[in-house]
Amino acid sequence: MDADYAIIGGGVVGLSVAWGLLKRGKRVTVLDGDDGSFRASRGNFGLVWVQSKGMKQPRYAEWSQQSAAAWGAFSDELADATGRDLGLEQKGGYDLHFSEESLEERVADYEVLKGKLGGDYPFEVLGHNALRKEEPAIGPKVAGAILHHQDGHVNPLKLLRALADDVRRLGGRVLTGKTVTDVSRNGAFRVRCADGTQVDAGKVILSAGLGAMQLGPKMGFRAPIRPQRGQVLITEKLPKLINRPSLIARQVDEGGIQIGATNEEVGLDDRVTAPGLAQLAAEAVAAYPVLARAQLVRSWGALRILSPDGLPIYQESPEMPGAYLVTCHSGITLAAAHARFLPDWLEKTADAPDLEVFSEDRFAVS
Amino acid sequence: MLTADLIVIGAGPAGMAAAAEAGRAGLSVLVLDEQSQPGGQIYRDVERVVPLRGDLLGADYAAGLPLAQGLAEQGVSHLNGAVSWAIEEGGRVMFTRAGRAEQAEGRRILLATGALERPMPVPGWTLPGVMTVGAAQILLKQSGVVPERAVLAGSGPLIYLTAAQMVRAGVPPLALVETQTRGDALRAARHMGGALRGWRYLLKGLGLMRELKRAGVQRFVGAEALAVMGDDRAEGLRFRRGGRDHEIACETVLLHHGVVPNTQAARSIGVAHRWDAVQQCFSPVLDEWGRTGVEGVLIAGDGAGIGGAKAAEYAGRLAALQVAEDLGAITAHARDEVARHLRGDLRRERAIRPFLDTAYPPYAGAITPEDATLVCRCEEVTAGDIRRFARMGCLGPNQAKAFGRAGMGPCQGRYCGLAVSAILAQETGQSMDETGYYRIRPPLKPVTLGELAAMEEPVTDAAE
Repeated sequence: MDADYAIIGGGVVGLSVAWGLLKRGKRVTVLDGDDGSFRASRGNFGLVWVQSKGMKQPRYAEWSQQSAAAWGAFSDELADATGRDLGLEQKGGYDLHFSEESLEERVADYEVLKGKLGGDYPFEVLGHNALRKEEPAIGPKVAGAILHHQDGHVNPLKLLRALADDVRRLGGRVLTGKTVTDVSRNGAFRVRCADGTQVDAGKVILSAGLGAMQLGPKMGFRAPIRPQRGQVLITEKLPKLINRPSLIARQVDEGGIQIGATNEEVGLDDRVTAPGLAQLAAEAVAAYPVLARAQLVRSWGALRILSPDGLPIYQESPEMPGAYLVTCHSGITLAAAHARFLPDWLEKTADAPDLEVFSEDRFAVS
Repeated sequence: MLTADLIVIGAGPAGMAAAAEAGRAGLSVLVLDEQSQPGGQIYRDVERVVPLRGDLLGADYAAGLPLAQGLAEQGVSHLNGAVSWAIEEGGRVMFTRAGRAEQAEGRRILLATGALERPMPVPGWTLPGVMTVGAAQILLKQSGVVPERAVLAGSGPLIYLTAAQMVRAGVPPLALVETQTRGDALRAARHMGGALRGWRYLLKGLGLMRELKRAGVQRFVGAEALAVMGDDRAEGLRFRRGGRDHEIACETVLLHHGVVPNTQAARSIGVAHRWDAVQQCFSPVLDEWGRTGVEGVLIAGDGAGIGGAKAAEYAGRLAALQVAEDLGAITAHARDEVARHLRGDLRRERAIRPFLDTAYPPYAGAITPEDATLVCRCEEVTAGDIRRFARMGCLGPNQAKAFGRAGMGPCQGRYCGLAVSAILAQETGQSMDETGYYRIRPPLKPVTLGELAAMEEPVTDAAE
C-alpha cells in the first residue's frame, strides 16, 4: 500500500486535510491536476468569514465559527514551518448596506441566528457616521454596515503555497498533472489516473472541487454540486484605504484593493465579461468613491463549488466505506477546521465533530 | 456605440495596410491605436519625423509614410490614443480614450498588435541606466535624444541599425557586445539560399557594419556571462569572451536579443498558440489568410510571428482581402488575383528569416537566467523563485503565478511570461507547449475603476 490516505484534489481543501492527517502521522498521497484545471483555490476572495453563513442551518454557522477560531493558531503553525506569514487578519468584517431597509432586515435575521447560537454571534450595527469613523473612505451612498467581530481575511495564495510546501515537508507525496479516471476497492482502494499512474491506499478522500461532479457518482456519492462563477477585480497597490474587509471589497496584504464578486450560473465558463467588470466596479465605487481613480490591474473569473443549499458536504460513501466526499465553497474559511477537526471525523475518534447535518442524506427527499 | 465592418487594433504596418486595403474594398474600418500618431513601433510617428530626421533614420523608415497616409482612405476612421483593454466574443472591443471608456463593435476584428522586444533578464538588468535598444531607438525617433557612453549588448539586426543611427547622430556607442557565436553563424550559413533572396537586407546589414567599423565602434562577438555592473545605477558591463573576462565602463547599457509576437490580446480571447522552436516564441495558430480559430478574429503582422515590417504590410493586406470577400464586398476571384501577388511578395520577404533567426538567436543566459536574476520586475520574482515553485509542484506558469505573483503586475506578464515558462519547462522536463503560458485576462492595459463603473449605466450620447 502506498498510503493510508489517497486524496484526490490538491487545492486548499485537499491540502488542508492532507496536512491535518500528516500531523497525525498518517501517510498521505495527494493527486493534483494541472496548470489549467479549474482552481477555486487560486481564484477565491480570501475571506475567513462567519457572518451570513448558516442563516438556515445554525450548525454551519457554528462550524464556520469553530474554524475561524482555530485559524490563528493554524496560520501561526504554517508560518513557523514555512517561514512566511499568511497575512491573516481577524479584526472583524462588514456587511455593507446601501439602504436602511436592507440593513434592518439583515439585522433581524442575525438576531434570530444569534438566539439559535446561544448568544454567541458578536456583531454590532454601525450607522453611516459610526462606519465612517472606522472607514474614512466610505461613501455617502452607504447607509450603514454590520460589523461582525469573528470575520477576517487572509492571503489565500499564501495559504495555498504554504500548504503545498508544508505537506511536502511533512512527508506527504504530491503527484501533479494527474487526471483521476477511476477509483476501485478490493480490500484497499486503488486510484487510477489517465496517464497510467496507480495509487493504492487504505482510504480515499474526494476533494477535487468540481471534479467531484464526474468522480463522485462513480464512488457512490450523489455529489449534487454545480459551478457558480464569481468575477473578481484587483487594483494597483495603494496606501492603506480600507481597514476591514467586506463582501464588496478588501485591501489585500500587498496593497491592492480586491473587489468581488459576481454570482453567475453559467456552467463551466470561467471567463470575465465587460458587464461583470462594470457591475463590480460600480458597486465598489459606490461604497468607496475614491476607488474611481484607482487603476484596475487584473481581473479573473473562478468557479464556486456549490451544493444545492450552499453548505459543505461531508459524506462517507455507502457503497465504498472508507471513501469520503469533502467539498465546500468556503475552503479558505474552513481550512482550519479541515486541518484540525476533520481528521478526527475521518479517523472516527472520540473527538470527531458532529457533521451529520452535512451528509448527503439531506438531499434524499424530493 | 461605434460600429464598423472591420476593427483593426494597432496602426503599425500590418494594421495600416489592412485598413487601407479594406477601405479600398468598400468596407467601413475602425482603427484603434494606442499611440498618438500612426506608425506602430517600426514607423513610429513617421509622418512628423520623416521631415525632421528622415536622413538619419534611413530609407526603410521613410517607407512607412505612404502607409500612414493610407489611413485617409475612404471608409477608414482612425482613433489614436485609443487603448484597447478588452475584446469579447461577437466582435466587441472595449477601449479607453481621453480618460473615457468606450465600446466598438466590428463584424470582424484584426489584431495587428505587433511585437515586443524580448526581455533580456541578465544580472543588473533592472538598474537605472539600463534600457532596451528598442526604447533607445524610440527616443531617437521621437525626440532625437541619444544616450551617451552607451554599450549595446545582445544580438540581432536592430543592434546594428540603432548603433549606426547613433553614429549618424554624432554620439557613437562605446561598443557592441554580441552574444551570437561562430556556431550560430555556421548554422545560419545553411540558410544562405534564403538569405540571398533577401539580398537587400544582407546589403543593408553589411552597410551598417561598414558604418560602425568606420566610426571605430568596437565589437565583441560570442560574449557570454553578461552582467550589468553598478549598485544604484549602471556603471558598466561585464562579460566573458574567448575564456577572458572583460569589463567596459559606461553610463548606459542597451539590451536587445530580438523581438517576439505580442500575443496578449489574442490569448485573452482564447486563440490557440504554438511554440515556434526557431523563433523561440509562441505564435498564434492561423490559416493562410491570418484567420484564428476564434470566429471573426484575424491576426496579421509580427503578432503572428516575426517577419518584419514589409511582411507585416503584405499579411495585413491579405487579411483585409479575406475579410472583404467574406463580407461580400469583393469576389473570391478579385481577392485571389491580388492575393497571388501578395503571397509572392510575402514569401520573398520572409526568405531571409531562417538565416536571421539562426544567426542571431536570443542570448541563452537570458532565456533561463541564473537563480539570483529577477525575471518578474513588477513583483520582484527571481529565476530561483520560479525553480523553487517547480519543485513545489508547479507544472505551468499559472500555478507559479499563484505561488509567487510573477505576472501579476501592471505589465500583465509581458516581461516575464516567456522566461517563467522556459524556466518551468527546464525544471520539469516538459516541452514549452506542455508548459503553456499565462492565462491572459482583461484588462489588457490598466483602466480605472471609474471608467469601468461609468460603463455600467447606459450612456446617453447626444450624438446617437
